[in-house]
Amino acid sequence: MLSPSSAWPMISDDPARKNSPDLASQLEALRPQLLKFARLQLRNSAWAEDAVSETLLAAWERPQNFAASSQLKTWLIGILKHKLVDQIRRNCREMSTTSEDNEDVLDDLFDQTGHWIDAPQDWGQPEAVLRQVDFMRVLEACVEHLPGQQGRLFMMREWLELETDEICKELSISPTNLWVLLHRARMRLRDCLQLNWFSTPAVDPARSR
Amino acid sequence: MFLKRNCKQVTRLVLEGEDRRLPWADRLAVRLHMHICAACPRFQQQVRLMREATLAWRHYSEEP
Repeated sequence: MLSPSSAWPMISDDPARKNSPDLASQLEALRPQLLKFARLQLRNSAWAEDAVSETLLAAWERPQNFAASSQLKTWLIGILKHKLVDQIRRNCREMSTTSEDNEDVLDDLFDQTGHWIDAPQDWGQPEAVLRQVDFMRVLEACVEHLPGQQGRLFMMREWLELETDEICKELSISPTNLWVLLHRARMRLRDCLQLNWFSTPAVDPARSR
Repeated sequence: MFLKRNCKQVTRLVLEGEDRRLPWADRLAVRLHMHICAACPRFQQQVRLMREATLAWRHYSEEP
């Protein structure tokens, strides 16, 4: 329905009749980016497709809600976040932990007495790292590699910006269970960043674009 | 010693501190441990960097 050819007959009761062909192609162009974040959040392609379709449809039907001063992508991401919460509510019973979620990642890093086996490395100043687009890509890949439930919870917390008690309510899990899964997710991310970013030579001008 | 924590326990507390307010005894124990440990302060720095990175990533995801 978003292709300009099918959406352009001027039917008087069509709420989207004033949309320009331009909007259709702009929405279509942003679809892959929306889908990427929907997949990261839901960890299920079908649910992600549904959330993105609902987002684009909502945008198409109510273009008047889009303030010209803001950016189209920012507006769409805002709608998508609401649609993702809807999907989480709809499918929460199927969002559960797997054996990978339940592995205790801390066990391998410490000896019997609770001391570090390999002491953490100095990652340097955040400013130096954060302005590198490639670092953001590595971070995104590391989030994608989290076990399913840890990934969903991490995204709910950090990307949807939900409070921990809201997350517990939506997924019917206890606070203790949530804290355990989130600390495992954060530890896995840290290990992933160490391995894929900080272990490689830090001074590489080609990377700091 | 009710304020004594090893590195593994401190690591877990530092991570959990991102998502809940730790009880005062835990917060004090973490702070004391940081004075006598060379490794854990670096871990705490890593967690801080990840917090800033996640925030930057979220902003980056919303911008064109």
